[in-house]
Amino acid sequence: MLEYVLRRLLYMLITLFAVASILFLLFRMLPGEATLQVISPAMDEAVQQRMKAAFGLDKPVWHQYLIYLKNLVSLEWGRSFVSAQEVTAIISYRFWNTLLLMASGLCMTLTLGIGFGIVMAWKRNSPLDVAGTVIGLIFQAAPPFITGLLLLMIMSYRLGLFPTGGMYPPGERPENLIGLLLMPAFWERIVLPTITVGMYYLATPMLVMRDSMLEVLGSDYIELARAKGLKPSTVMFRHAARNALLGVVTLASIMVGFAVGGQVVVESLFSWPGMGQLMVESAASHDYPVAQGTFLMLAILVIGLNFLTDFLYSYLDPRITVSSEGIK
Amino acid sequence: MAAKTRGNALVNIKRLLQEHYQIITSNRLSATGLLFIVIFMVVAIFAPWIAPNDPWEMMYDSSGEFASLRSPSWQFPLGTTHLGYDLFSQLILATRTTLLIGSVSGGISILIGANIGLISGYYGGKIDEVLMRFTDILYGMPFLPFIIVLISLFGRRLEFIILAIVLIIWRTSARVIRAQTISIKQRQFIAAAKARGCSDFRIIYRHILPNVLPLLLLYAAFNIAWSVITEASASFLGFGDGETISWGGMLYELWLSGKTRVAWWWFAAPSICIVLLVTSLVFVSRAYEEVANPRLRKR
Repeated sequence: MLEYVLRRLLYMLITLFAVASILFLLFRMLPGEATLQVISPAMDEAVQQRMKAAFGLDKPVWHQYLIYLKNLVSLEWGRSFVSAQEVTAIISYRFWNTLLLMASGLCMTLTLGIGFGIVMAWKRNSPLDVAGTVIGLIFQAAPPFITGLLLLMIMSYRLGLFPTGGMYPPGERPENLIGLLLMPAFWERIVLPTITVGMYYLATPMLVMRDSMLEVLGSDYIELARAKGLKPSTVMFRHAARNALLGVVTLASIMVGFAVGGQVVVESLFSWPGMGQLMVESAASHDYPVAQGTFLMLAILVIGLNFLTDFLYSYLDPRITVSSEGIK
Repeated sequence: MAAKTRGNALVNIKRLLQEHYQIITSNRLSATGLLFIVIFMVVAIFAPWIAPNDPWEMMYDSSGEFASLRSPSWQFPLGTTHLGYDLFSQLILATRTTLLIGSVSGGISILIGANIGLISGYYGGKIDEVLMRFTDILYGMPFLPFIIVLISLFGRRLEFIILAIVLIIWRTSARVIRAQTISIKQRQFIAAAKARGCSDFRIIYRHILPNVLPLLLLYAAFNIAWSVITEASASFLGFGDGETISWGGMLYELWLSGKTRVAWWWFAAPSICIVLLVTSLVFVSRAYEEVANPRLRKR
């Protein structure tokens, strides 16, 4: 077990290192020279040279690369071209906002998905089952900005039930996380983005849960539980659902990777001050230090979550660790 | 001799097409999906002849008044934008862009993914290790941010959008096809082919490939659907090609104009098209899912 975890940890670090290196290559080597944003070609030649030296751009590429890696590790991620704020400071504020929204969205997806999945397998081939499949697939086919726009148009513009965006009313930034969570205005604002994210990912756990339930329901021990005369609901939820859950956990690792991406659209749509919105804004305004830092942070999130779900999976299903080559 | 083999190849292709047509049409949902896809394709091909107006022309109604933000009517079947552009014409031309991006990036990505999966799964060992670690690295990339960063660095042009999508989207198909290849590789007919002295190339493409084909087509449909969603999302966030119009781009214009409160028709048409196309692709792919995974058929 320990060996397996250590190996995964090593892979995780290698992946992170590779992602960081690709990022360095992208931002340094591409034709759309990033430095043009700061060092204008209109400047005096000598001034340009001096500025390049100040940024370390006169050094050979490999040296720049080493400096880059050192800065990454020591958390010196540079300053924004636009606001001159430290990139790490900007990101650390945004990080928790993203995590909050992601967590509430995934909670909704998993609760509804697993619940509906059980019921759909139970009432298999009923209108409920068909309706669940079709609705799930339609919401999965609709990119989140379409669902989000629809919700905005109906719930906010037409009915006026929810605010159109943001995380708290303008000018009322809470002191800390607890202050934020105690604000009713915050809860009003998290509803629509949560539904948007939740509905988008609903189909996956729902259909997987349904299928693995159907598989489990065919096995002998369910037959036995039924023969014992247990209530159908007890058989479904206590006996069958427990084993069927494993399939959903496997899926979770794929889902979290996508969830981080979906975040980008939803945050931009609902002006949620998270990393996804920051990513879009900084890329659009060519604020490269921020774009690079945000990308790296999102990658760390994806890689870390993948590691966590792998770990969780091997914990739930001990058979996995028997294979010396990790998960196949 | 050569003529005969060519004739055989044609018969084979015809039989293959018939077979796949049957797979898709045997299921009502996937048959409907196929119908919609064909309609979209026809619209995309003949777009310039179908669209009644220039998509970037300010329209005036029959009484000569500037047609800004008109709801659907006989003259403007899908209404107009705040600048008086005809949404029907925009939608028709956007169909072309969206289908082009979807099919080109979906097609290239499945080519890359399938080959990497086949080679990695067939050879195993060092080659497999290298290719799969590389795929793992791609899995560490957050999907949409990766595409946004690439587009913002390369430039907002159609070919760069396709490139960005292709570069990341093949990862899933590579993994899945590798797994399938490994399981097929262990069957007896592969050992028999090896014993007959078939080259690796022949074994991979003549013996293994036909067996992973349903799975490959399933993921081809997924990749196209994913490309469409991705292009729409990137366009909506302002990372689309400014020169050509796409469904996502139409919604971006709506969002930018701030007319979301009033112009429901501007929202409706492109949204319905995106959802319809992606759902159709998903339903068609479900027909292949049943072939690729026969256990599902019983249910």
